[in-house]
Amino acid sequence: MKTRSIPQQTLKAICVAALLLFTLFPATWMVLSALSSNTASGQTNILDFSWTLDNFVRVFTKGDFGVYLRNSVLVALGTVLVSAVVALLASVAVTRFHFKFRTTVLMMILVVQMVPLEALVIPLFVQVRDLGLLGQLPGLILVYIAFSLPFGIWMLRGFVAAVPKELEEAAYMDGATWGRMFWSVLLPLTLPGLVATSVFSFITAWNEFIFAMTLMGGAQENFTVSIGLKAFFGENSNDWGAVMAASTIITIPVVVFFVLVQRRLSSGLVAGAVKG
Amino acid sequence: MTTITPPPLEDLKDPFLEEQTITKPRRSFARSIALRPWLLLTPTLIIFAGLLLWPLVRVVLFSLQDYGLREIRTGEFNFVGLDNYIKIFNDSKLWQVVLPNTVVFAIIVVAGTVILGTLVALLLASLNKFWRMIVGSVVMVAWAMPMVTGTYVWVWIFDADKGIVNETLMNMGLMDEPYNWFANRFSFFAIAAINVIHHSFPFVAITVLAGLLGVSSEMLEAAQLDGAGPFRRFFSIIVPTLKPVFAVVIILSTIWDFKVFAQIFIMPGGSGTNREVLNLGVWSYVESFAQNRYGFGSAIAVLLTIVLLIITTVYVRTLMKEDEL
Repeated sequence: MKTRSIPQQTLKAICVAALLLFTLFPATWMVLSALSSNTASGQTNILDFSWTLDNFVRVFTKGDFGVYLRNSVLVALGTVLVSAVVALLASVAVTRFHFKFRTTVLMMILVVQMVPLEALVIPLFVQVRDLGLLGQLPGLILVYIAFSLPFGIWMLRGFVAAVPKELEEAAYMDGATWGRMFWSVLLPLTLPGLVATSVFSFITAWNEFIFAMTLMGGAQENFTVSIGLKAFFGENSNDWGAVMAASTIITIPVVVFFVLVQRRLSSGLVAGAVKG
Repeated sequence: MTTITPPPLEDLKDPFLEEQTITKPRRSFARSIALRPWLLLTPTLIIFAGLLLWPLVRVVLFSLQDYGLREIRTGEFNFVGLDNYIKIFNDSKLWQVVLPNTVVFAIIVVAGTVILGTLVALLLASLNKFWRMIVGSVVMVAWAMPMVTGTYVWVWIFDADKGIVNETLMNMGLMDEPYNWFANRFSFFAIAAINVIHHSFPFVAITVLAGLLGVSSEMLEAAQLDGAGPFRRFFSIIVPTLKPVFAVVIILSTIWDFKVFAQIFIMPGGSGTNREVLNLGVWSYVESFAQNRYGFGSAIAVLLTIVLLIITTVYVRTLMKEDEL
């Protein structure tokens, strides 16, 4: 490679260090505060502390955080299961078939993805209420499916298209019906993409705030983690130790999932933007 | 297996189906082939229609009504024409508070995100494989951090009582007593900007990096031989080559930063208690769910949607040029 001068290398090292500091600071501070015995007590200097798990213990004993965690897992899994199936079917339709209005459907998926969901809070609130699902987890799942579907179809489109058509034809030659071909050829080959997309919808459902807050309203027993955090904020003082401990618990699965699948997803995302 | 048996035609509530000119009642192979994509699309179309398109129509309908607590209970239609929109545009809050908080904030955050993201991408591109992987993974952590917990952490960092920022400034003797960063409109949005930029620059960095790695190194080396410096190379070769990537990144960021909600709402005073820090999204929400003025809130939501749809149109156009569907 090119030769580089020492000052240039030093400058680069400083840039990397600054970047790492800026990037990691909030996450580090969150974990430190969660583990510090001073965050909850009146003492101010957090760094002068002893390690403790008290904050984590308080998260589970004082509030209903365990219930919120269970709710979040249920909602996220429900969203993932339904939207994965529906998105896969739709992405097969738009990549493997040439039919009238195919481009129209694709355009619609793209545009629907851009609809600001925040603007739909009011009508969706009315809609979910009309269905009698206000304050109940299925209502939330229904809304999250709608949110993760456009992106899911868009992502899976690339993964389905990557399966060679010749494999499909070979299956037909061997006498497979379309359903058999789908089950034995398309599904296994798109599975990695399906997993990646599912992780993404899991994260969407796990993190979502505004609809969880609106649709669950006062139904505390059905709160998800992102709105459940509010429980640790008091009238006059906030239990920051518990907030940070709970935040750590919420963040860890997301970060792990995300780092695992991101490479796959971003390659698909960029494939649409950059040619060649 | 069920996917291949076409149900009777009348069961398919598919608006596009009429165009298919299927007249024969007999099931033929060709027809089942023609129906198959629509069968596969049926669940998607139902969900889109019921949970995205119909609500979109409905929010417009609500915005044309004096839709309050009574109407939301009874579903009564209470048409008032463009009254809500006129009220919005005559509201001094829109021009003095909400619009600056939305537009200026979006411009600053988009600029910050794209510039920082591009710089990080350039840095990543200049690193060797090992360090690129390390730094890339760390950057991913910032991206993966949930918006809600991320916001709480920034609030905690700037907390008035025990936040590290106030502590540090006081220990350094720069301040005598703790300062409430959230009471002041500008410092409130500065914190929100740091939060949003911190959360969204990784997307820009990773996307631009993917583009950068695709720029032909021959071209860059040729330019270097011709005596072009690093800045010249960046603006004359990399920027034009990556134009589509930048277009996508800028437009997506604009859409995201225009409609920030949770990041503002969660911050102290952000949920409507401090009227100085409302933005379009929060204003719409607070008017609807706190004041029960659902019609007025819907009208704000419609305005937000229109702005975003205009940006989206530009986005789709850019994408269409690059990628044949």
